Amino acid sequence: MKKFTCIVCPVSCILSVDEKDNEVQVNGNQCKRGRVFGVNEYNDPKRMITTTVKIENAKIKRLPVISTDEIPKSRLIELAKELYKITVDTPVLRGDIIVKNIGETGVDIIATRTII
Amino acid sequence: MMEKRIRKIIADMNKIADYDISASVSRDKIVTLNGTALYWKQVVDAGHKVANVKGVRNVVNDMISKDIKPNIIDYSKKIKEVKNNSISESCDVVIIGAGISGCAIARNLSKYNLNVMVVEKNSDIAEEATKANNGNIHPGVLAKPGTLKAKLNLRGNEMYTKLSEELDFELKRTGSLLVFYNKKDVNKFKILKFLKYTGIGKLIKPLSQAMKVPGMKWLNTKEVRELEPNLKGEPIGGFLLTTMGLVEPFEVCSALAENAAENGVTFKFNTQIIDIVKEKESIKEVITNHSTIKCQTVINCAGVYADNIAKMVDDCFYTIHARRGAIAIIDKNRKGYLNTPVGLMSDSDRSNNSKGGGASVTPEGNLLWGPNAVEVYDKEDKSVDAVDMDYIIKLGRGVTDEVKKSEIITYFAGIRAADYKEDFIVEASRKVDGFIHVAGIQSPGLASAPAIAEMVEEILFKQNSNLEIKSDYNPIRVAKPKFRDLSHEEQDKLIKKNPKYGNIVCRCELITEGEIIDAVHSPIPATTIDAIKRRSRAGMGRCQGGFCGPRVLEIIARELEIPLTKVTLKGENSYVLHRQSRV
Amino acid sequence: MNKRQVDVVIIGGGPAGLAAAIEVKKQGIDNVLIIERDSSLGGILQQCIHDGFGLHRFGKRLSGCEYADNFIVEVKERKIEIADKTIVIEITKDKVIYAMNEIDGITEIKCGAIILAMGCRERTRSQAFIWGTRPSGVLTAGTVQRYINIEGYLPGEKAVILGSGDIGLIMARRMTLEGIEVKGVYELMESPGGLTRNIAQCLVDYNIPLHLSTTVIRTHGNKKLEGVTVAKVDKDRQVIKGSEEYIECDLLVLAVGLIPENELSNQLNINIDTRTKGPVVDEYFMTSMEGVFAAGNVVTVFDLVDYVSLTGELAGRGAAKYVKGQLKMDKPITRLEPGENVSFVVPQYVRKHNLEEKLPLYFRVKQKLEKVEVTAVGNDETYYKKKHRVVLPPEMLVEEIISSNIKEGDKKITVNVMEVSKE
Repeated sequence: MKKFTCIVCPVSCILSVDEKDNEVQVNGNQCKRGRVFGVNEYNDPKRMITTTVKIENAKIKRLPVISTDEIPKSRLIELAKELYKITVDTPVLRGDIIVKNIGETGVDIIATRTII
Repeated sequence: MMEKRIRKIIADMNKIADYDISASVSRDKIVTLNGTALYWKQVVDAGHKVANVKGVRNVVNDMISKDIKPNIIDYSKKIKEVKNNSISESCDVVIIGAGISGCAIARNLSKYNLNVMVVEKNSDIAEEATKANNGNIHPGVLAKPGTLKAKLNLRGNEMYTKLSEELDFELKRTGSLLVFYNKKDVNKFKILKFLKYTGIGKLIKPLSQAMKVPGMKWLNTKEVRELEPNLKGEPIGGFLLTTMGLVEPFEVCSALAENAAENGVTFKFNTQIIDIVKEKESIKEVITNHSTIKCQTVINCAGVYADNIAKMVDDCFYTIHARRGAIAIIDKNRKGYLNTPVGLMSDSDRSNNSKGGGASVTPEGNLLWGPNAVEVYDKEDKSVDAVDMDYIIKLGRGVTDEVKKSEIITYFAGIRAADYKEDFIVEASRKVDGFIHVAGIQSPGLASAPAIAEMVEEILFKQNSNLEIKSDYNPIRVAKPKFRDLSHEEQDKLIKKNPKYGNIVCRCELITEGEIIDAVHSPIPATTIDAIKRRSRAGMGRCQGGFCGPRVLEIIARELEIPLTKVTLKGENSYVLHRQSRV
Repeated sequence: MNKRQVDVVIIGGGPAGLAAAIEVKKQGIDNVLIIERDSSLGGILQQCIHDGFGLHRFGKRLSGCEYADNFIVEVKERKIEIADKTIVIEITKDKVIYAMNEIDGITEIKCGAIILAMGCRERTRSQAFIWGTRPSGVLTAGTVQRYINIEGYLPGEKAVILGSGDIGLIMARRMTLEGIEVKGVYELMESPGGLTRNIAQCLVDYNIPLHLSTTVIRTHGNKKLEGVTVAKVDKDRQVIKGSEEYIECDLLVLAVGLIPENELSNQLNINIDTRTKGPVVDEYFMTSMEGVFAAGNVVTVFDLVDYVSLTGELAGRGAAKYVKGQLKMDKPITRLEPGENVSFVVPQYVRKHNLEEKLPLYFRVKQKLEKVEVTAVGNDETYYKKKHRVVLPPEMLVEEIISSNIKEGDKKITVNVMEVSKE
């Protein structure tokens, strides 16, 4: 049995996750999303990635970005480093795709701020 | 007689603890101590005991203790390197140290046809004891009668009025209040009052200094209350020393330095004296970490390092021991809580709260507690410890007991440069022509600074009869506008004239970008975040630079045309930013 | 000097101010002005690039920037006037504001109502009483966040974080991702200051150690930070002698708490609650000065931005009503007081006749308790009861009382959090 802290919402439920008869069972969650998180965390933990990329010709020097979905936790540092090589130019609109399908994960990296 | 007394003191000390102190006395009555004690405090005690012996001119205390790690830096390599690189400059007078003494002297000398250079190892003026001072222009009651300190304190205090007018810095003559709480003391103070008013007190030696101080006023219970309604408990009465003045020490120092610079004095920062070269017992040149400077006169205002400098010309007859003092600043919510600095008069009141009591105020009306006094070996140790804070809180709450520890917005420490006679040393070297000692300048050094400068001017005048006052000497300095002190109409006009005054950088203290730019480009340029803070007050408020820090950093970088990573908090390697996050 | 009149002025264009402005406009007041000192709206959210915002309001985990953007877009759509790069330097008792910027100089604004939405600021090194020298390399977490996320600079290579509040935890992860070695997070208290999920995703995920009942007692280095001394503390938060440890670092990040920003409120001499450190407010978050409202972290430091927006909207509705003369300012009032195991309650008092359908109460518990019941008790009646599995001081509680239940004559309602007796 493994224990995880659910990070889906601020309630931060403590989940006990176990595998029985090829089925992952989650206890301690208070909502459905918690169960999904528990199963994922047991099989293949995933996280959102938020960081910045360099932006030119703007008042601020870094453009904040986010992943459109969660990516494998084990690849967080590697993909963050990948993003550090990127420079974008203005204008950027919130939601603009900065990297398509980053590291073949099927997840895009998008801008979270409009900078004109 | 003197030597016998010293031998007795040394023998007693060696007996009590397992020391191996030895003393030697020179012909001019300088005592040199050697040996190892257990604790640094004992080293300092030994110095004081010997210095107190009648007839002793001063003490060179070369003792060490087992609780310290001596840090001696060998400059011989650097000296050779500088001598070889042959960057050579010249001037008439080199002033070592840009603290309050150095800057006051520089300003006095700037009126003459002299080429004066002030050499400072830090990146700014006032970086040591001066900036960590509580800003009291003491009336001169506390100085020991007959000392140089006593004389210069009285004279300096008097000179401040004219000085503040010429140099446009704030001076508030609030007076200072000494109160007592114990009924038993009523008679004692009645006698004091009698002695003062009749003039008889002047004849009693221990009282003579206090009795010389002008403007002492006796206050009864009601008058004390009226003056200071927030004082702790029920004070019975006290003395108001009306000549006490309050200043911002940095403001005074920068006013002096700016005026000196405007009258032609050169200030060299980040420049440390590593050697002084004599020729036939006359000054030839000083060697800094950058260059050699040929000169005729060296004025040693090096504060805690004055003894090291004096050693360079083989005329070190004193040792400077570092006495650290911490000060705590109270939130401006308490502005106006006290009108004057307040202390306790009587020993009986001091014993009541075991540590005495005292609180001061800034010219702005903000409350401050401290300083305390702790002997430390390391002349750079400007740390503040829990024990220091406990002490100054007790000190402060001894008279302002409603104010809580949580109301402290910041605290810091400075080092006083004390010699073992605990007096000022302002004199021409008896051994080296052109070398002037200005050493042991501790409290009341700020109050005495104008008088010290006057005295040095006289010494120099005696040595050099060709001195002439420059025709274009201008003793007037005009301070830059302080945005927050202006009316809204005046503020509006100022912004229309220069839009940079319309951008508030420090919200807590209401400091504009215009004022920060003024500070960067002032006659004594501010090149660090702390230097900006001291000149403009940006970062001095409640958030302590949390909000304005990054903005000030950016303005400095822009104005000096340097990368953000090269801006420092306080000179040397005190960078704030390590590197850009992406290349 | 320019002079003008505005119905409702909102000071601060962060989450509270944006929500308040939108609400005022929705209520039919057109003459609305947001005064923002920065060049862009959104306040501190613009440097909060991490996700986790807006789960309540938008049902999604947005980044701080995205959360702010949702409001900024609406403010612009509704054509609400914004004075950016403008700062308020004075508010007078008759609701006159003096604002200034580089272009217009000083502007005198006569206001119908004012909403204070200046947010909060960080506690400093001095307030945490850290001893030692004062070198560079000691920065608050918010300042570090700004340097890294907005300016693109790293303030050090090896960091120690003091304080395990959410900002401290978020910055531990952020610095790690940027290549700064985070040597540990130190927390004076016995339990972490931040949300449990942030311990998991910011520290555990990156193997960053959390040291509880341990604090930074001393900084070393005269010019640049060379290291810190940390030490364990006992139950009374006194340093345990012999537990001191030196840690080499060039950056000490302080996440030692936030304090409502009330520099301006203090000018007005409005009543401040010593527990929240913010103004005492009523049912519409009006302060003790009639027509001056407060919203968001000015009132008390909330842990979720969703609550900040809600209080902004409430204050916005209140200000609109006030300007229209629809608020009855007469008594009686009912005080809301912290009872058993509750450290404060916001709002501090209400007038029943002005209440909306539901009255939300924001409060924190004093200590961690399990299996508790929250109650709100009037003179002789319990208005509200709810059970919780676990309550923690870092996690603010919000409970809504049905307003119609409250009796007209009640002088006070006490909010309690008590353990349910084990039967």
